[in-house]
Amino acid sequence: MWDSFLQGIDLAFRFDTFAMMALGLVLGMFVGALPGFTTVMAMAVLLPLSFFLDPLVGIPFLIGVYKGGIFGGSVPAILVSIPGTGASVATTFDGPALTRKGQSRKAMETALYASAIGDFSSDIITILCIGPIALIAMQIGPPELAAVLFLSLLIITVTGDGVFVKGLLMMMFGLLFSLIGQDPIGALSRFTFDFFAIRSGIPLLPMLIGVFALPEILIAVERKAASYMRGSLKIEAGERLTFAEFRRCLRTICRSTAIGTVIGVMPGVGQVVAAFMGYAAAKNASSHPETFGKGELEGVAAAEAANNAVNGPTLVPLLTLGIPGDNITAILLGAFIAQGLRPGPQLFAEQGDIVFAILIAMVLANALFLALGYVLIPVFARVVTIRKGLLLPLTIVFAFAGSYVYRSDPTDLLVLVFFGIFGYAAKKLSFDVAPMVMAFILGPPLEYSFGQTITLSQGNLAGYITTERPITVVILILTPMIIYALWRKSARMRREFAAAE
Amino acid sequence: MDAPANDSDHPNLSPRKLNFNAVAALVFIVFGAVLFFITPYQVEKPVVVFGQSLNALDPTLFPRLVALGIFGLGIWYFFKSFSLREHNRFRDLDRAGYVNVGVSLAAFTLYALLMEPLGFILSSVLLIAGLSTFYGVRDRLLVAAVSIGIPVAIYFTFTRMLQVFLPAFPEL
Repeated sequence: MWDSFLQGIDLAFRFDTFAMMALGLVLGMFVGALPGFTTVMAMAVLLPLSFFLDPLVGIPFLIGVYKGGIFGGSVPAILVSIPGTGASVATTFDGPALTRKGQSRKAMETALYASAIGDFSSDIITILCIGPIALIAMQIGPPELAAVLFLSLLIITVTGDGVFVKGLLMMMFGLLFSLIGQDPIGALSRFTFDFFAIRSGIPLLPMLIGVFALPEILIAVERKAASYMRGSLKIEAGERLTFAEFRRCLRTICRSTAIGTVIGVMPGVGQVVAAFMGYAAAKNASSHPETFGKGELEGVAAAEAANNAVNGPTLVPLLTLGIPGDNITAILLGAFIAQGLRPGPQLFAEQGDIVFAILIAMVLANALFLALGYVLIPVFARVVTIRKGLLLPLTIVFAFAGSYVYRSDPTDLLVLVFFGIFGYAAKKLSFDVAPMVMAFILGPPLEYSFGQTITLSQGNLAGYITTERPITVVILILTPMIIYALWRKSARMRREFAAAE
Repeated sequence: MDAPANDSDHPNLSPRKLNFNAVAALVFIVFGAVLFFITPYQVEKPVVVFGQSLNALDPTLFPRLVALGIFGLGIWYFFKSFSLREHNRFRDLDRAGYVNVGVSLAAFTLYALLMEPLGFILSSVLLIAGLSTFYGVRDRLLVAAVSIGIPVAIYFTFTRMLQVFLPAFPEL
């Protein structure tokens, strides 16, 4: 593991890696600054670009989009009280009030520094922890993996939005979609209805773009997408953030970083929860909580540090177990698979140097992030004025082009449209698509590891796992308890969100 | 994870006897049952040698579990639906909204069908020009510049820089 880390340091320092990361950061900030356009959508649309690049260039590019997008959402959140991404909702509590006081520049700089520090710190912690976790993960065999995958699917479902039973139904549909094509054990055809186009299953990329990008576009066009912001969005050329003000926010930034890091490791939770919890913790700990919500710099720092601190740790369950914790890591998983890197217990043993190189590049990206953010803040303030009527068709063209080049198969475009309609209907009827996507991705390895377990058990499944795989038994016993505890906590958090909003 | 769905802008919503959730639940129940019964006909049979299947795991097992899952969860969902206060957001759409979404979806589908016959550049020009005009952008010069310039730029980025294939021109 240590050797892989050292080799990774060698591999990480490449000009093209940094160039593409910078491009990804800029694109991510651009999309994040556009209200109604999500980071997930940007990553889904830009995913195909990464396929044709070296893994040490393509994956850092997508990570750059991710980081940039989470920060970019704070621009309209602060300037016009419209969160650019879900992660910046908590930033709207204090950001606009600071703008009204003529302190928009201070607020933007606070958001930038808090985001960079939160992201950098959590990335370092990720690199320090991921090695030992990977060593533990390598001891996992098929029975443990099947149990962990099953538990993960349930965790992602119970912590998702909406009603639990509806999440479970979406999970079932994800498993159903994953069954189409060839079974992972014997390569026997299932549910192809003799359509040649789906003999090898539903393609992942068009499905991801369809489910994440198209519904956002359809929701925007409901009102003909004609609306765009007018008026002065010029950042006040007023006072900059002073060192004393920054130092005052430092404790808050550290607290929020810790909160975001812990939340990032947990599958299914994500930036929004981290931002709210970071904000609430800062307000509770403050000696002047009455200033929160009226233009308090610590409020902006708390939310932004927490939501950016999630970025690095979300890669831990992805890289060590192959389990994407949220939609963004599901897209990153698609990128890894396309590059021939299958995240999971064996990834560190087989290609540990490449993985560490990607993680180190991610840490170094924070320096780029600071520099680009500082220079481009005034530019992105204008982004909200771009006409959606032009931007939406351009996004469609890019999405379709990316889906087509994946396999040069025009059927993929119809898959894209189908899942776009599916995702749109799901949004309208309050179904969360995240469990569906996770189940689609995790279904085949779940079935495969279950099949391997059956083979290893030689006909005596219960005896095999109780006598030779006690950890599997422990996981299976703990599963209902964990799900129940998370379900109760999730219900309580939803009540708190509703009250906060 | 997105912010939780919030139906607080419909504060007077009370559970209805037969709401959209109940209807959806019934659909899932029927779907699960149908899926369970068609599974043996839609799954290829494994090779059997001397009475023993060469597959360790019956390929119909997971599909049947999924079908039973959808059926069982559909029943749970049906009973749960009477206490849910969710709002069917399709009801928020006015006629114009349905038209906008319908036209957009039709455009996307046509675009998907015509990309190969017409080529990426021509089909994209038509999509951008048509949709941006429909969405209310009236600056014809801007529309023309963007609808021609961007597809050409994307085409050259993908084919020259990334060395991947996009159909350029109409198939003659």
